[in-house]
Amino acid sequence: MATQLHLQLDERSGVPVYRQIMDQIKYYVAGGTLRPGDQIPSIRELAGTMSVNPTTVVKAYTELENEGIIEKRHGKGAFIAPRAHALSVTEQEQALRRSAKQLAVEATQLQVPSPKVITVVREELGALSSEKHGDESPTSFSIVRNTQVTGN
Amino acid sequence: MKPVIRARRLGKIFRNGSVAVNGLDLQIQQGEVYGLIGRNGAGKTTALKLLAGLLRADSGEAEILGRSLWNAPREHRQRIAYVSQGQQVPEWMTLEDLGRYASHFYDHWDPALLQEQARRWDIPMGTAVNKLSGGNQRLAALCVAMAARPEVMLLDEPAAGLDPVARRELNGCLIQALLRVEGCTILLSTHLLGDLERLATKAGILDRGRVVAEGSVEDWQRTMRRVQVVFAEPEPPRDFAIPGAIKSVSLGPVVTALARIIDPQQLDGVRQRPGVRVNVFPLTLEELFVDWFSDSASHARGEPAASHSWRETVTAVGNP
Repeated sequence: MATQLHLQLDERSGVPVYRQIMDQIKYYVAGGTLRPGDQIPSIRELAGTMSVNPTTVVKAYTELENEGIIEKRHGKGAFIAPRAHALSVTEQEQALRRSAKQLAVEATQLQVPSPKVITVVREELGALSSEKHGDESPTSFSIVRNTQVTGN
Repeated sequence: MKPVIRARRLGKIFRNGSVAVNGLDLQIQQGEVYGLIGRNGAGKTTALKLLAGLLRADSGEAEILGRSLWNAPREHRQRIAYVSQGQQVPEWMTLEDLGRYASHFYDHWDPALLQEQARRWDIPMGTAVNKLSGGNQRLAALCVAMAARPEVMLLDEPAAGLDPVARRELNGCLIQALLRVEGCTILLSTHLLGDLERLATKAGILDRGRVVAEGSVEDWQRTMRRVQVVFAEPEPPRDFAIPGAIKSVSLGPVVTALARIIDPQQLDGVRQRPGVRVNVFPLTLEELFVDWFSDSASHARGEPAASHSWRETVTAVGNP
């Protein structure tokens, strides 16, 4: 069963296209939408449906493979690797830590006391989650599983 | 590997004395999609015409697949497709007529591909080309170009005048061409930099007839940043420069630069200065392009921009 991914590119983000592809696949893995053993689209398929240069998809897949998120099975295609979930959660934490570090540096520069920083972060998180509940539209990611429905 | 498209010190001066292409160097490898970007009048169209052999160069060399197209025989020319900006097909013909006509010139002519493409783009095969909309006329020309199964495509602003849906379809078809024809090489000029981010592996900025910067699109996006440094004092220290800055502008206590950030620690020295705030913003290709050319007030005054190279740093006090 092939999983058809609907990935979106944000042309205004300034993030390289291969990175956007990688991040979205990782996002699906971290969120459990893509599970170990799931097949992901072939390079040709993804390049065709997303209208991106095939070499960009090759680059994204190669990096994902190097990071242990996906594995290529000879002649069969690319699949989510068994340990992918744990890895991408670690990855998430690392990304969070990078942002937190930047925040810490800026807070120090601005001489904001630590409790105030924590309060601000908490407030922002709160604002974001209430925004989410208020907004009916789904997140910018969607996934369609091409399942052959047979009597189910 | 030998480049598929090569220009060396290419030059073209028009009869009125205007220098359109001035020492252009270009090397494009097989399978690459190369985007030529530049302001109006930078020489993009002339460069493509010189490569396509439609204009004769005054100096330097232009070669595609190992030889100049200016005097190449049909067997060689048919391996290359060129789609110009303006109307290029006899407009009284229908797409079907055009296909029949073109089939005599191309050994690898693929009538099924023409039909498939026309169907995909919803272009009637039996309507005279001049009865089609402007966008469809362009797509018709591209259909014909692709049906010749070229090894190299030279496209001058292929998406100009297309609506967003048609543009998307055009991109899709170029991708299909890349997937279908083993190692097809594409050189295109464009103003639509968002499209380039999807399509191109490499891009070059053309300024007054030569490539002033060239790189992989990914590399640019990964490393090029807009860096803003805000000092507590009314002015930055006299010797201050943002590490990696290609060009920078200062206004009061704020220094803004287009900078190449290779190492995340590159700006640590600046961050550690007391009272200094550092903001780093990613750039889209479009923003990079605008930053690159908005070096001073000279554009606003209608004067030509100063010439730049990667290493040159232009410092100017701009308007807010």
